[in-house]
Amino acid sequence: MKVGIIGTGFMGVTHAAGWAQTPAQICGFCAETTAEAAPLAKQYHSKIYTSIDEMLPEVDVVDLCTPTFLHAEQVEKAARAGKDIICEKPLALDVQTAVEMLAVCQKMGVRLFVAHVVRFFPEYAKAKAIVDSGKIGRPGTIHLRRCNYRPKKPVGNWFLDEQKSGGLLLDLSVHDFDYARWIAGDVKNVFSKKVSSMDPEAPIDYALTILTHENGTLSHITGGWAYPPPNFQTGFDINCDRGNIHWDSAETDPVHVLIRTDQDSPDVGLVGSHLIESPYTTEIKEFYDAIQNHKEARVTSVDGMKAVQIAAAARKSAECGEPVMIDSMKGEAA
Amino acid sequence: MMKIGIMSFAHLHAEAYVQNIKAIPDVEMIGFVDSDESRVEKFGRQFQVSATTDFEKFFAEKPDGVIICSENNAHLPMVEMAIDAGIRNICCEKPLATTLADAQKITALAVKNHVNLMTAFPVRFSAPVMEVKRQLQLGNYGKIYCFQSSNEGRMPAMYRKWFVDKELAGGGSLQDHLVHLTDLFRWITRSEVESVFAQSNQVFHHGEVDVETGGMAMLKFRNGVFASIDCSWSRPDYYPIWGGLSFEVITDRGAIQVDAFKQNLSVYHHETKGLSLVDWGSDSNQGMIDEFAASIRENRQASVSAEDGLRAVEVIQAAYESVASGKVVYL
Repeated sequence: MKVGIIGTGFMGVTHAAGWAQTPAQICGFCAETTAEAAPLAKQYHSKIYTSIDEMLPEVDVVDLCTPTFLHAEQVEKAARAGKDIICEKPLALDVQTAVEMLAVCQKMGVRLFVAHVVRFFPEYAKAKAIVDSGKIGRPGTIHLRRCNYRPKKPVGNWFLDEQKSGGLLLDLSVHDFDYARWIAGDVKNVFSKKVSSMDPEAPIDYALTILTHENGTLSHITGGWAYPPPNFQTGFDINCDRGNIHWDSAETDPVHVLIRTDQDSPDVGLVGSHLIESPYTTEIKEFYDAIQNHKEARVTSVDGMKAVQIAAAARKSAECGEPVMIDSMKGEAA
Repeated sequence: MMKIGIMSFAHLHAEAYVQNIKAIPDVEMIGFVDSDESRVEKFGRQFQVSATTDFEKFFAEKPDGVIICSENNAHLPMVEMAIDAGIRNICCEKPLATTLADAQKITALAVKNHVNLMTAFPVRFSAPVMEVKRQLQLGNYGKIYCFQSSNEGRMPAMYRKWFVDKELAGGGSLQDHLVHLTDLFRWITRSEVESVFAQSNQVFHHGEVDVETGGMAMLKFRNGVFASIDCSWSRPDYYPIWGGLSFEVITDRGAIQVDAFKQNLSVYHHETKGLSLVDWGSDSNQGMIDEFAASIRENRQASVSAEDGLRAVEVIQAAYESVASGKVVYL
């Protein structure tokens, strides 16, 4: 299997490390400039492509580690070239685009995987397994928390541009929208409040979203770019009628480093735990296996589309101040 | 010596208040009155206080103040009875009433009769909460944008059956657990709630009760601050503590995370073969009852009023309306 990676930011670097742990061959990298792609190409003894068109004829799989606003066009190109696709989350900026991306992949008979990496974090995967085992019963309420700091580099920073990233709800909370759906099923109603919707000049952003699932479970999603760097806290509570699961990143961190440093915090806050295998590698390995052996992965393109659907409904609710219903049959935020 | 008595021992908190009253040096705990004979018998003996089913006998003791710990829907008749008996200092358990009409009547009665009526919101007397409120109001933590909060607990039927009776309690977890954080955020922001969105369900203890056991609400205040509250009875009966109250305040400078019941020792012992949490924090109930006694002593309104109780009842009623309609309810 020959893989081409597009985008060489943090996610491109991380995915490349994952691919290196599979039998697949990394053919090369494509970035906005050849200078950006050069270090990775050198590290993996592979090529620098100047465009996706130049890359496509030479690869079997395209891994898109690019900003959200570029996904639609790149997925379409790769699909029309008959390549299987890994696409970074969120799949698209809006539901309609996501639906069209799924359609073109289906039409061209190529596979599309959306990299919702949270499903591969062992604490999240174990909690899902415990819920699925049935031994703690049915979820009544779920809390999912994810808060760090605002991505830096305000000039030309696509994360902060709602038009390019979808903002906090689509870029960050989408992880937890997907996880909530994985645990408690489809969502029928979304209500959200967001600091930047109330005060566009706010130096931080923070959003609180209540999801009502079709089975009645209530999920509360906290997403924030609000803490001073380098703080990044994640956590969840899954409260079921026969038991509860609680996890908090700060409480379970096995190592606390209290060492003076002059080092600055990274531009984008990242969660990390002390694990032998990175969850990103676990993810890439599973996608490799799914493609190579024609199997399902734990996250599908429909999951990716539905996560966008919830995020779109949350964005709409935060703007209009009213709850937004989701029509799951039509695949759109009504 | 100031005399304080308790009207009805239906509410669990009466057990704490008996001790709190006894702990104040210049206050005499005159006992309690309760129409339920079994409670008079049981708790009178357990707490070694005078107890009677005869309200006239209780009022003949001429209490300077009473604390009402009846079922929620009996607060209004209890307040009426106390005022008729000439009592001018009343501390009433939360929620002030189960209906908006009752809460309005209680507030109007207090105003008309110049009664010092205090709604029992003990969280305002929690040491960590008081400190955070002080710092926020001094501006030391920046400008407040929103709160994310939870007041989850065990289903209270394990303490008293009436807590899950729709008529007596006025509802389930929304009625029981929305008021504390609602009041707290009003108190901190000095703003009133403008709109409420709420959802509820009955997954926990499904089929065992007639009321909702799970619920979440989102409040928006007039000054633009918003707050989410999880008020569910989501903690199992064997949870190491009754529940908890925690919130995160988000400001333009970052966040403050508060867990009001975190000051515990983790104790493992052979008897329980497991973990139990032993609270070592300051007793907020004591702080509240101290304030009630101080307001009597100083002949003034207590720092929490009937109106504070009424405002919280308005929010609860709006939350139930929102659950029924699926829409945002504007106050």
